Amino acid sequence: MIQARMIQEWKTLAGTPIPEVAGRLSVALAPDCARFSLRVRPDDRAALDAPLGIALPDRIGGVAVGAGGHALCLGPDEWSLLLPAEAAAGLGERLGAAVTVPFSLVDVGHREVGIAVSGPAATLALSSLCALDLDAMPAGSATRTILDRAQAVLIKHDAEQYRIEVWQSFADHVWTLLEVVSREIALDL
Amino acid sequence: MSDARVIDTGDTPARPSAATAPAIGRGLRVPGRGRNAAAAPVRFTFDGRTITGRAGDTLAAALLADGIHLVGRSFKYHRPRGILSAGSEEPNALVGTDRGDGRYEPNTRATTAEIFEGFRASSQNRWPSLRHDVGAVNDSLYMLFSAGFYYKTFMWPKSFWNTVYEPLIRGAAGLGAPPTERDPDSYAARHAHCDLLVVGAGAAGLAAALAGARGGAKVILVDEQAEAGGWLLSEPEVTIDGRTAWTWLADTLRTLAAMPNVTVLNRTTAIGYYHQNFVGLCQRLTDHLAQVPEGAPRERLWKVRAKQVVLAQGAIEKPLVFAGNDRPGVMLAGAARTYLNRYGVRVGDRAVVVTAHDAAWAAAFDLARAGTTVPLIVDIRPVVGGDLLAQARSLGIETLCGGTVTDTRGRLRVSAVRVNPVDAAGRAGGGRWVACDALLMSGGWTPSLHLFSHTGGKLVWDEADQVFLPGRATEACRCAGAGTGRFGLAAALADGAAAGAAAAVDAGHPAETPAFAVQGEGSMAGTACRDLPTDRNGAFAKAFVDFQNDVLAKDIRLAVREGFRSVEHIKRYTTNGMATDQGKTSNINGLQIAADALGRAAPSVGLTTFRPPYTPTTFGAFAGYNRGRLFEVTRRTPIDAWAAERGAVYEPVSLWRRARYFPQPGEDMHAAVARECRAVRAGVGLFDASTLGKIEIVGPDAATFMNRMYTNAWTKLEPGRCRYGLLLGEDGFIRDDGVIGRMAPDRFHVTTTTGGAARVLTTMEDYLQTEWPDLNVWLTSTTEQWAVIAVQGPSARAVIEPLVEGIDLAPGRFPHMAVAEGRICGVPTRLFRVSFTGELGFEVNVPSRYGRAVWEAIHEAGRAHGIVPYGTETMHVLRAEKGYIIVGQDTDGTLTPADAGLDWAIGKAKPDFVGKRSLARPDMHRPDRKQLVGLLTQDPNVVLEEGAQIVAERDGPIPRTMIGHVTSAYWSEALGRSIALAVVAGGKSLQGRTVYVPMPDAVHAATVGGTAFLDPENTRLAV
Repeated sequence: MIQARMIQEWKTLAGTPIPEVAGRLSVALAPDCARFSLRVRPDDRAALDAPLGIALPDRIGGVAVGAGGHALCLGPDEWSLLLPAEAAAGLGERLGAAVTVPFSLVDVGHREVGIAVSGPAATLALSSLCALDLDAMPAGSATRTILDRAQAVLIKHDAEQYRIEVWQSFADHVWTLLEVVSREIALDL
Repeated sequence: MSDARVIDTGDTPARPSAATAPAIGRGLRVPGRGRNAAAAPVRFTFDGRTITGRAGDTLAAALLADGIHLVGRSFKYHRPRGILSAGSEEPNALVGTDRGDGRYEPNTRATTAEIFEGFRASSQNRWPSLRHDVGAVNDSLYMLFSAGFYYKTFMWPKSFWNTVYEPLIRGAAGLGAPPTERDPDSYAARHAHCDLLVVGAGAAGLAAALAGARGGAKVILVDEQAEAGGWLLSEPEVTIDGRTAWTWLADTLRTLAAMPNVTVLNRTTAIGYYHQNFVGLCQRLTDHLAQVPEGAPRERLWKVRAKQVVLAQGAIEKPLVFAGNDRPGVMLAGAARTYLNRYGVRVGDRAVVVTAHDAAWAAAFDLARAGTTVPLIVDIRPVVGGDLLAQARSLGIETLCGGTVTDTRGRLRVSAVRVNPVDAAGRAGGGRWVACDALLMSGGWTPSLHLFSHTGGKLVWDEADQVFLPGRATEACRCAGAGTGRFGLAAALADGAAAGAAAAVDAGHPAETPAFAVQGEGSMAGTACRDLPTDRNGAFAKAFVDFQNDVLAKDIRLAVREGFRSVEHIKRYTTNGMATDQGKTSNINGLQIAADALGRAAPSVGLTTFRPPYTPTTFGAFAGYNRGRLFEVTRRTPIDAWAAERGAVYEPVSLWRRARYFPQPGEDMHAAVARECRAVRAGVGLFDASTLGKIEIVGPDAATFMNRMYTNAWTKLEPGRCRYGLLLGEDGFIRDDGVIGRMAPDRFHVTTTTGGAARVLTTMEDYLQTEWPDLNVWLTSTTEQWAVIAVQGPSARAVIEPLVEGIDLAPGRFPHMAVAEGRICGVPTRLFRVSFTGELGFEVNVPSRYGRAVWEAIHEAGRAHGIVPYGTETMHVLRAEKGYIIVGQDTDGTLTPADAGLDWAIGKAKPDFVGKRSLARPDMHRPDRKQLVGLLTQDPNVVLEEGAQIVAERDGPIPRTMIGHVTSAYWSEALGRSIALAVVAGGKSLQGRTVYVPMPDAVHAATVGGTAFLDPENTRLAV
């Protein structure tokens, strides 16, 4: 019945690496992960912490680490979960069995592409795409923003390490722009 | 005219002797003088002639060092023009610059363009050559070209305006020629945030940056010139804190460079000041480089959000207005001083000075000491400081206080100036001619208020100095230095330091105000004047106010005589201040003359509004990265690349590009679409529907929410079933539609139109947050989570059945409008049995990264069944044959469900849904509303034009009443004829009637019918 061939995952940006700017800037595909959009009323949030294995941050922009991944608070009732694949399997069923509060868990693992931007010039590179004051953005925070013309989620791990989460079809635009900006930074003009 | 001649007979004509004739190109560069005294020689060309300048020169400096003043022709009269200024305010010296490889730019200011080895510049607005220009005939005809001449001269006959006059005027207008090649350069952009943005790195700006940065504030200091320093660069003898100006400047820049919280940007113009301290900066990165690094951007647009702004833009020297003040060789005294001290260039061998301000005396003294003969200083003021007179005497310079200048001579360069005394009553006496090769003028200084004015900050008139000054600010901004009318270096440093410190404190940082001790500074006293007194008839004087637009003092007076009172009207009638320099040197002179003519005070006449950008800015800078591939986001599906490999022709649908059809060799669109249609109807076709908007609606109240949003009833829809959903606006008109599957009691998989995806989600979110916050339901966009592969046609089941696991596709088990979760090709799928073609159909949803592989697998499996990939055009034809609407094509925001024949989709028993109340309005039930119908042309081969209007009668008076229009029209391969959908007033009652569609070739008759052209009983779906 089933075709014997292996199903290959098609990746938006694979095959178009951006040359590293030695010691200053690196732009690369972030390691893939499972992704969920989790919605729950703020008052019910804490009920999910234990079954998730992550204390969901209660401040918008907050990033919590746990279960081998991250939970980003993007809105008053909205969290984005970036988890290792094994933590993701059957998550909806497990949560549903563990809690009685109403919530919404939607698999968006294939919706987005992760792009890692790192190095001392990472903030400078992103300032060509993003209108936010990235120096003022706390380390260990995340925000939904616009990169040039593409909606994305920007995670700042620290002053030299960022991760962009952008929808598949917008990823090429962001990636191409980062490629241009990398060249510009390499020229140091 | 005769009046003037009589007086002229008493004049002494000047005939420059050999001794005083300018020795062109020799000895104008003063050895050891200038910032770039030791710089390497640089060769460039001007109008094809090779000239050697020095690295660091502006084009103007290098030309002047070569004895060249004549660089262009004026806009209207084609008068020879030279270099007026030494900065971005230059109205005259506009040239074409060519940096090679198609990098041509017209109207570059020679005073700001930096030369480099191989740089090429050319003069503009002349033919056949700069020295002999045919257009100069306009100069003799100047009485024809008075203010508003085009409103008067070209009025009759009326029909000539469009056909003769306007093309002629447009042809003659403009200075440089636009570039003919595509701009090969790239442009960059960057956002920045700071505590303090300082605009202008002259004395005031440097002091502000120092004072602001020492307490830790993040400071950005920008200057439009190639190096920071402003006027300090032109006045090197001054000492600051015991150091010469240039030493102090170097020390200060070093201090700033060492501070990590300070960014200094040269060649960066603050072009506009917008709301909430948002300032646009244009940084020129490579225009000055002989070797541009591969891929380097030409300019970068900085978008700066500053907590505080200090505007230290300085002041611009005003020309004096007198007859012949535009000849090459006539220039601003301050500019002459800049060329001497900064570039080591004497602007002439014999320079007369005419001034209303002390500053020009210093220019005269500097030039005299550098070897230029200064025969005469004419000061408009009857009395000037004794020390100035003494210095002039010691340098052997004759002085005339209480004098005027009434004319100049010299065809391509000033050769003599006519000088007259002025009596106590302000009347000019008889003139005498003084030979010269340069005439330096100064009418005082105009504070630069442009950026302050962008903010809407109020300007106040200073009666004493006759200048506008910044008043109350509307933004978090301060002005400092000459831009506030506090002239001189000591004042600028003190003012800048105070402003910088105060701004830093307001931005939350500690600051102290440093003090500076300045010595050796010249005096900055002067008077303001309008056009200079003359003994001749002013009505004939070519006394220029706006050099670039060729506006004469008499034009402004004429405008006033013709009834113009407001400065805004005078500006538009005369075009004063409307050129690319935006009146930087002409606005105040124009205002003074208008005020004088009106007999009113200057402030009551007012100042025209300054608008961004401060100086001309390239389109490239504004476009930034958004050109070529990055012009706009192009969204591609995971299957897009497969289609590209097979030569698909694309069409844009919102930001997506979608495969429109897949032409085989030799096929046009018609043939390809016909083949694709046949394949789907007879066998099976494959369609990429990934762009469909998808929203996952989850929560215990999901069904309640769906009931309120959509017209349909959802409560009774079982999990595992789908329904066509119709979404209205509050007005009752159709907004969107799509198939919606119920995956679980608390989970719906909603699809929307491709273009409507974001709009539908935000509309839903809006209702949820503002109307029904009590509902426990959440919306998540899953458009890009799923790749959607539509498999349509009688063989569709046979193709996918072997690939699917866990779903029984047997007709009885998985009927039309069923949905199930299972696996296909080993990956998870949400499989919908739906059809937008009228055939047996499936929409295979798989996580998007599997989309291409599953598509390929289905395509492979379908080979045995003759599977054909098809595009959006075929999809459109197939759905039109079934009468399925496309929202936005067959609807236009004024169609109700009933108008579109979709009233079956309304859950009539529901208490409410968005738009329900509007549907009850009587107007919504009028029988003559435009309603969707099918049209069949009487000639089956005629495909109507989409958008064509429809009339009830073939013949009749024009204009005839238009009763509707065609919304969709195609060739139907299945029916072997054309079909069309249309909205027609009262269409439902016109069934079987003939209507007419006038098109360019003929009026076509068509019969009104139903919208389902093919298989109206839907038998083909039930297989």
